Amino acid sequence: MTIDNSMQISFELNGSMRRARVEPHERLIDLLRDVLGETGTKEGCGEGECGACTVLVEGRAVNSCLFPAPEVEGLRVVTIEGLCGEGLQLSPVQAAFLEGGATQCGFCTPGMVVSTVALLGENPAPSASDIRNALTGNLCRCTGYVQIVEAIQSAAAKLSAGGEA
Amino acid sequence: MATTPSPQDKVAWEPRDEMTVLNKDARRLDGPVKVTGRAVYPHDVRLPNMVYARLLVHPAPRSKLTRVDVEPARQVPGVVYAEVLKSGGEEVLYQGDDAVLAVVAAETPEAAEDGVRAVVVELEELWPPMVTPEQALADDSPKITENGNVVVAGTRGDQAEVEATLGRCDAVVEASYSLPVQHHACLETHGCVVDFDGEKATTYPSTQMVTGSTGMFARELGISRSDVRVLTPYMGGGFGAKFGIGKEGAVASEVAKALMRPVHLMLTRPQEFLMAGNRSGSKQVMKGGATKDGVFQALYVEADKHGGMGRGSLPTPPYIYDVASNASTIRQVHTATDANRAMRAPGHPQASFAMESMVDELSYAIGMDPVEFRKKNLSSEVYHRQLDRVAKEIGWAEHEHRTEPGKVDGNVRVGIGFGVSTWGSGGRPGCKCEVRIEADGSIRSSVGTQDLGTGSRTYVASIVAEEFGLELSQVEARIGDSDLPPSVGSGGSVTTGSLAPAVKDAAHNARVALCDKVAPVLECDPDELTWQGGKVYPTGEPDRALTWKEACATVGSDPLVAMGEFQPHLHQGRVHGAQAAKISVDTLTGEIKVLKMVTIQDQGIPLIRSALRSQINGGMVQALSYGLLEQRVHDADLGYMLTANLEDYKIAGVQEIPEMVAIIDDDDTRQTVCGMAEATCIPGHAAIANALYNACGVRIRDLPLSADRVVTELAKRI
Ligand code: FES
Ligand code: FES
Repeated sequence: MTIDNSMQISFELNGSMRRARVEPHERLIDLLRDVLGETGTKEGCGEGECGACTVLVEGRAVNSCLFPAPEVEGLRVVTIEGLCGEGLQLSPVQAAFLEGGATQCGFCTPGMVVSTVALLGENPAPSASDIRNALTGNLCRCTGYVQIVEAIQSAAAKLSAGGEA
Repeated sequence: MATTPSPQDKVAWEPRDEMTVLNKDARRLDGPVKVTGRAVYPHDVRLPNMVYARLLVHPAPRSKLTRVDVEPARQVPGVVYAEVLKSGGEEVLYQGDDAVLAVVAAETPEAAEDGVRAVVVELEELWPPMVTPEQALADDSPKITENGNVVVAGTRGDQAEVEATLGRCDAVVEASYSLPVQHHACLETHGCVVDFDGEKATTYPSTQMVTGSTGMFARELGISRSDVRVLTPYMGGGFGAKFGIGKEGAVASEVAKALMRPVHLMLTRPQEFLMAGNRSGSKQVMKGGATKDGVFQALYVEADKHGGMGRGSLPTPPYIYDVASNASTIRQVHTATDANRAMRAPGHPQASFAMESMVDELSYAIGMDPVEFRKKNLSSEVYHRQLDRVAKEIGWAEHEHRTEPGKVDGNVRVGIGFGVSTWGSGGRPGCKCEVRIEADGSIRSSVGTQDLGTGSRTYVASIVAEEFGLELSQVEARIGDSDLPPSVGSGGSVTTGSLAPAVKDAAHNARVALCDKVAPVLECDPDELTWQGGKVYPTGEPDRALTWKEACATVGSDPLVAMGEFQPHLHQGRVHGAQAAKISVDTLTGEIKVLKMVTIQDQGIPLIRSALRSQINGGMVQALSYGLLEQRVHDADLGYMLTANLEDYKIAGVQEIPEMVAIIDDDDTRQTVCGMAEATCIPGHAAIANALYNACGVRIRDLPLSADRVVTELAKRI
C-alpha cells in the first residue's frame, strides 16, 4: 500500500505565484529544477558543502539542497533566473561578475551571484572579511576566487553609488 | 563557397603591439548566460519523456558477491527500469567503477534513488582491503593486478656513480617525501544525457572531448559514429577527469537502448569521489648532494606512484633541475582503488613537491640563498628572470632571513618559499575551423571544441575579430557540437596550441577570400587592403573605406565560407613559470596562513589576458589547496573511503585565499601561442612548504601541511 503524504503548496517564485504538489521530504532544489524546470540553480554536492544550489528565501541565502520544499509555502523564493530585469537586463551583481571575468566553467556562478545578492541586500558596503564570510559556503574549483571577490567589491561600490543588488 | 588562400601569403600572428582584440582583457562570450543561469549544462538537460538513472556503487573495495537483487527496486513507484550490472558469483576487484552493481531508472530522480536503496546486495568483503600502499607492499598480500602489486616503471642512471658523487659533496640530504591522492573535484559531477531513437543518438555529456566522444557513444549504442551527435555547449569543469564517457556513459547508453527514452545519468558526489578519477599519490625517497659553490651535484631517487589500478604519473627525476649525476627507479604500487586519471599537469605537482623541497633543503644546508641556488641549477635563462620577478614581488630582498630559518619562540613567524614549473603543452593536428561570412555582415567562427572554462569559446571569436579589425562582440562563436568541424580533446593544455592556429588559419583564409571580393570595388590590389576599426580601405587611404557591412555585401547571396586547419608554425609548446609564497605560522599552534602568492607564467602571445590571469589564480589556489587541505583517506581495515564527500575532502574556499598576484610574462616574446593552465598548479604547494621551513625551520615532507604535523615538528625544535 502506498500512502500519499504529498501536499499542495503555493509560493512566490521570481515574482510569480507558483503552485506545486510536493512530498514531505522533497528538497527545494528538486522542486525548482525537476518540477518547475528552473535549472539555473545547480547541484554540486547535495549536502550543503558547495553552495552551487544557493537561492534566496525571503531574501536570505539558503542551500536549496538542504531546504525542504514544503517549507517555502507562502514564502518568497528568488533564484538566479529571477535576478535579471526586463529583457534579461543584468542586475548589478551579474554585470559585475560578467565585467570582472569572475567565471570560468560557471557552474558555481549562480550560487556565487545569489549569495552576493543576499550579502549586499543586508550589507551594501561589505568589508573584505564580510565578503569572505558571506561566501564561505560557496566553493569554486576553477577561478581561485580572486576575480569573484573583485566583482563583489565592484558591485558593492556601484550599489553604494545608488542601485539595487 | 569554400575558398583557398593565395599560396604566397603565409599566415602569421600580428605583432602584439598592433593587436586590438587579442592580448587584451576580454568579456567572455559565455559570461552573460553563465551569470544569468541560462547556460544549460549536461546536468540541466531536461527532455520530453526523459528518465533519470542512478547507479548503485558499493563502497567496499574488494568483495565476492553472493546476491544482487533488483526486484525490490522494480516495485518502487516511478521506477521503470532496474538491472543488475554485476551479479551474485562475481567479484568486485577494486573500489570504483568495478563496484557498479546495478542501475535504476525512474520518472523522477527521487524514485531512482529510492530504487537504488531498495536493491538487495549480499556480499562477502575480502580482507585485506588493499587500499593502502603498505597493504599492497606487504609480503603475503593478494595480487590485485595481473602483473602483481608492484611494477617497475623505469630505471635510469648508475646508482654507484651517483653514490660516488654524493661522497664528494659538501652537503647531502636524505629524505622521503609523500603526497596523498588528490581529486579533481569539478563542481559538476560526471555524467550525461543520452537520447537514442534506435537509429540516431544525441548525447549531452559533461566532457572535455566533444568530437571524440561520438565514437565512444557509437560503440556503446551499436551505431555508426556519424549517427551520434554530441552537444556540450557548457560543462562544469574537467581538469583532466572528463575524457572518456566512463562507465556512467556506457550504462546510460544501455538504459537508453532498452527504454528508447532519453536517459539522464549524473554521478552523485560520493560516486564522483569513488569512481571518477584522481591524481595519483606518491612517495619519493631521495638522496641529494650539493657542493659549497652551489652546484646540485647528484641525486638518487626511489619513487612509488600510487595510482590505484592505474599506472600513476611522475616525470623522471631530476625533473626541471640540472643534476649531472643522477639515477632513479620509479615503481607503480597498485591498490584496489579506482585508476588515477590525467589531472592538470599529471605527475608534475608530485615531482615538484619532492624536487623543490630537496633543492630547498640543499640550499639551506650549504648556506646559500634558495633563489640563487635554484638559478645556479636551472640552465634556462627564462627561469632566472622569472625567479627574480617573483622574488621582487614577494619582497624577498627585504626579508630578514634568507639563508637560515626563523626561530621557534611561540610567536607568529613569517617565511617565504619558491618553486618553478614547466609544461610541454604543444599542439597537434586535428582541429578544423570554419569561418562563415554573410552578405548582411554577420560572421561566425565554428569548431566542435569545448570550453572547460578556459575561455576557448571567446578566442574562437576574438582571433577572427582581430583578423578583420572588428569588435569581439561582432563575431559569433559556435562550439560544443560534434556536428561542427572537429577539434582535439582538451587535455595537457593542448587546446590553445592546436585550436588557435586552426582558427587563425580559417580567419586568414576568409580574409584572403573577402579581399578578392572587395578589391575590385575599391579598385586596388587584394594584397593592399587594411582591415581596421570595422572598416576596410586601400592601405594608406582610409578616406576610401568601406564599412564592414558594405564589404560583406560583396559576398553575394551565398555565404563566404573558409576553412582553416592546424598550422604548426603558429604554436610552440614549452612553458615556464615560477611561484613564490609568503606564509605566517603560529609557532604555538602550528596554524599556517598563506599571506601572499605570486606566479609568473609564460605562454607566447597572451590571447585573452583576463582569462590567463584567471587560469593562473585558479592554478595557484589548486596548489594551495593540495598543500594545505586535500587528502583522500581510506579506512585501512575496512577499506571504505572516508573522504567521499566535500565535507571531509576539503578544497580551498574563499577564506583560505591570500593576496594573489598573477603575472603574465610579457618578456616572453615568442610570436606563437600555447596553452599554459597546467603549469600554474605545479609548484605552489612546494613553495608553501618551503616558506614554512623559512619561517620556523620546520620541514614537512608529507602533504598536506596540516597543523598537527606542523605542531609535532615544532615541538622538536623547542
Ligand atoms: S548542492 Fe547544495 S550545497 Fe552543494
Ligand atoms: S567557475 Fe568553475 S567552479 Fe567556479
